[in-house]
Amino acid sequence: MTVTDAATAPGKRLEWQVAEVRDIVIETPRVKSFLLQVNDWRGHLPGQHVDIKLTAEDGYHAQRSYSIASAPENELVTLTVECIAGGEVSPYLFGELCHGDQFQLRGPIGGYFVWTVAKRGPLYLIAGGSGIVPLMAMLRHRERRKVPVPTALLYSSRSLEDVIYQEELDAMAQHDRNLHVTHTLTRKQPDGWAGHRGRVDREMLAKASFPLSSKQNTFVCGPTPFVEHVSNVLVELGHDALAIRTERFGPTGE
Amino acid sequence: MAENISDLVLDGNAAAGCLHEIFASDITIAQIQCDACASARPVGSLRLYAISMGAVLRCPHCDGVMMRVVNTPHGRWFEMSGTRCLKF
Repeated sequence: MTVTDAATAPGKRLEWQVAEVRDIVIETPRVKSFLLQVNDWRGHLPGQHVDIKLTAEDGYHAQRSYSIASAPENELVTLTVECIAGGEVSPYLFGELCHGDQFQLRGPIGGYFVWTVAKRGPLYLIAGGSGIVPLMAMLRHRERRKVPVPTALLYSSRSLEDVIYQEELDAMAQHDRNLHVTHTLTRKQPDGWAGHRGRVDREMLAKASFPLSSKQNTFVCGPTPFVEHVSNVLVELGHDALAIRTERFGPTGE
Repeated sequence: MAENISDLVLDGNAAAGCLHEIFASDITIAQIQCDACASARPVGSLRLYAISMGAVLRCPHCDGVMMRVVNTPHGRWFEMSGTRCLKF
């Protein structure tokens, strides 16, 4: 399936499908990736999400949205899940879900927070914590397509051990002169840490950005206060508010 | 889950699954114009207040209520009197 015939084709109903866990990757002490086989998956666009539904033995349903971490070019659909203490769904996914288990999933969903190599202009990605997940789908897609779109990622994590996809990001940036990855660690920095310290601020955002005249596509993803702060500062710095796409993490209310 | 009201505010993009059940195509990429302030933007950039009974989508510019989805035992209500028009 190619990117162009995926997902946003009009007139298709969203239906629940069965996803089966084929592999599990431990990304950080609190984050796991689930590689899923979804029959009749019709492909997705980088940045899209899925809804998943869990049904308890008494019939109780819980439904949540999760971003897709894999590129459309990858064979399996990857969801990366952070274990939220006190959460209803993520502790189950994190602690119980095993190889071969099945659950219900529908998607891909959403055509707004989406980027493909067909878009013009540089790509500016800003992630807070597990907000990296949909942005990683964009980076993986960009790498698989080998299209040298100038790209900057500014990624805020609590500590080095909380950096999701760390090795893969390092490897991507090492052999790609058009990709700049900047980390900031907010709570704990290892000895000799050369990157930024503390929360994403005006200076970091200005430094990582492409020139305002470059017509960059900006995607911000993370917890609500992070997204609010980053998008406000970007607008103060002169970025066009309508060119900043945001995705806040939180419960979906369904 | 989260008790803090600010944790319940998401982007309209997150309502895509819910709205997809009403609109056959992905409406989050359509342009929507607010009736209160006349500003226009993609549906995916509205503010989503994900309430337990459904969804409230507000204009990020003036905070006017543009779309409401309420699920009841008797059916699903969809109201958009705060919206002037949609462009697909």
